[in-house]
Amino acid sequence: MVTRQETYFEEFEVFSRKTQSSPVQYHFSLLAPNEDIAIMMAQENFMRREAVDDIWVVKRQNIRKMTVEEKKTLQRMDNKDYRTTKGYGYLKKKWRKYEQGMLDEKEIMSWGGGVTNEE
Amino acid sequence: MKNEALKNISIKELLLQLADDDFIHSYRGAEWLGLAPHIEEDVASASISQDTMGHAAIFYKLLEELGEGDADRLAHDRPAKERRNAIILEAANGPGYYMKDPDYDWAFAVVRNYFYTEAKAIKIQSLQSSSYEPLAEVAQKVQMELYYHLMHWKMWFVQLLGSHHADAVSRMKAAIDKTLPDFAGVFSLGQYGEEMVELGLIDGGIQKKWVEAVTPIFESVGLATTFKIGMAKGDGRNGVHTEDLEAALETLSEVYASDKAASW
Amino acid sequence: MNVLFNEMTEQEKLNHFIARIEAGEKIEADDWMPEDYRGTLIKLISMHGISEIMGALPEKEWVPKAPTLNRKLGIMAKVQDEMGHGQILLRVAEDLLKPCGKKRDDLMQDLFNGDLKFHNVFHMEAKTWGDAGLIGWLVDGAAIISQTNMLGSSYGPYSRALHRICAEEVFHAQHGEAIIMALAEGTEQQRKLVQDSIDYWWESLLLFFGPPSKKEVGSSKQDITIKYRIRTSTNEELRQAFFSKYVKRILSLGYTIPDQTLRFDKESETWIYRQPDWGKLKVYARNEGPRSQGRLSLRRISYENNKWVREALAPKVM
Repeated sequence: MVTRQETYFEEFEVFSRKTQSSPVQYHFSLLAPNEDIAIMMAQENFMRREAVDDIWVVKRQNIRKMTVEEKKTLQRMDNKDYRTTKGYGYLKKKWRKYEQGMLDEKEIMSWGGGVTNEE
Repeated sequence: MKNEALKNISIKELLLQLADDDFIHSYRGAEWLGLAPHIEEDVASASISQDTMGHAAIFYKLLEELGEGDADRLAHDRPAKERRNAIILEAANGPGYYMKDPDYDWAFAVVRNYFYTEAKAIKIQSLQSSSYEPLAEVAQKVQMELYYHLMHWKMWFVQLLGSHHADAVSRMKAAIDKTLPDFAGVFSLGQYGEEMVELGLIDGGIQKKWVEAVTPIFESVGLATTFKIGMAKGDGRNGVHTEDLEAALETLSEVYASDKAASW
Repeated sequence: MNVLFNEMTEQEKLNHFIARIEAGEKIEADDWMPEDYRGTLIKLISMHGISEIMGALPEKEWVPKAPTLNRKLGIMAKVQDEMGHGQILLRVAEDLLKPCGKKRDDLMQDLFNGDLKFHNVFHMEAKTWGDAGLIGWLVDGAAIISQTNMLGSSYGPYSRALHRICAEEVFHAQHGEAIIMALAEGTEQQRKLVQDSIDYWWESLLLFFGPPSKKEVGSSKQDITIKYRIRTSTNEELRQAFFSKYVKRILSLGYTIPDQTLRFDKESETWIYRQPDWGKLKVYARNEGPRSQGRLSLRRISYENNKWVREALAPKVM
């Protein structure tokens, strides 16, 4: 038997992405009876004054958030230099000895635009 | 020379039709502010009314550039008999006044908005290749905003009719029956229509394209697709209008008319 | 390992909560919170939200009548924002109400039966285009002062909502100023519109910030909101800030304020002013202001008229 739920108002969380290369950002929640209406409401409710490239709506019940206990798992000690470039900074000095520059983050990320051939 | 005069008058007539249609349509939308079925929709549809008023302002501006006078005067200070909007667009949202007991009908709003936006989209498509260059340029910009308007109203139309909720379906059908008998007024190009088409200002056959566009939508929600579209109350393009427009003009020009020379 | 949060005693939970807000942490909707914190937030935010919804109506009355195309667009955008602020705030309130089993429908019913109040200013009439301008200029000005006071609220969702809202309020204030400026620099008749509006709205603007203490109206939420770091300044401090920001501007346009006794006392560094009739707050709270019933009736009609839409689209469950 089909029964009707009491309410027209389902909760949707609204996300958007400013440009094709930006991360998705959370905005706010809205009420709508289904996701087609939700997505139609999203831009004009939360992004009237900003340009966006894409919008996501997610039914709130499909989002699993952390509990207070689980949030405790987010803590870490400050001893993980080996995971980051910070732990390898001494290489700069080493390479200088061999008259070579350091291939640091700035240098490597700049290769995205193509590497200039050189001797 | 005679041809030149005919051309000028055709351009002005077309611009007046476009401007007056959007102006009164947006006015009816503005009356809905705060009264939509839910708050989120109120906010979303308010953007559409603003966009539409923005389009009217651009068309009035084109008339201003042709020496027809100030855009605000064109919008606020022309009596009903000089207005060119289609009669269906001036029809009140429902019984009552927007400030007191507005017995507005969301079904009528959805049907009129969807039908009008579909018609406008077809016209604007055609105007992008109008022989009147300034209008063609404007049409390219206006077109961008119509994607959202059309998708928005089509969604409401399809969802309410597709809900299989007996009350909703019968209200929507009643709204369609109220709208179609006057909807040909939107397609009419008025007494200079032939010249407009001959001069390449706009294409003819908008009504046919409109029927082609809405037919699959009607079919998708199980509606009959035998259209009887009329102009029961007359052709607004020729200055024929109803009490509803008189009342609207009185309201929308109340402040403007209190001092026409003042700067507001 | 610490004791699990759920196994803490109520007192331990409260201590943990107080420690968090004192450390400047934000409380989120799903976090544990003391009942009086939840209760205070619900009252505050649902009233704030519904006031935006009801507050859209006075200006909405002037949307179709706005005197130029540009003014029609500006005021439409402003009324839309008010509805949008109502949407955001009601979402925040609805999340707080969830454990109490209440939803938006219930908030609307509360509004209709008089349990949910809206701010005094929105019970007043907006009789002229001058009032439409003044609402944007001074009522929104007052609202900005009271809302920025809560930007750092300990309740995260409210703080985030207010950040969104206050950014748009800047546009509102300028929209109001633009209308007022045109009138102030206009004809005799236009200038008079503004003076009449100031005279009509002045008392409401003072009432808007609430009573200085409990003794004026018998109760006040300000102590608990400050204790829980929901806001920082008192009602009186906010009213004083309003005088400091706006009195000079009103006078600079050549207008008078309908209070002969209003002056800045250098010694105490406070504004001295004639107390408004605090009893009026109770009248408005009973929805007996000049436009209370008219505006409630608009909302009720729209709610009832559109019931079929909500019923038709309500998700069906097996």
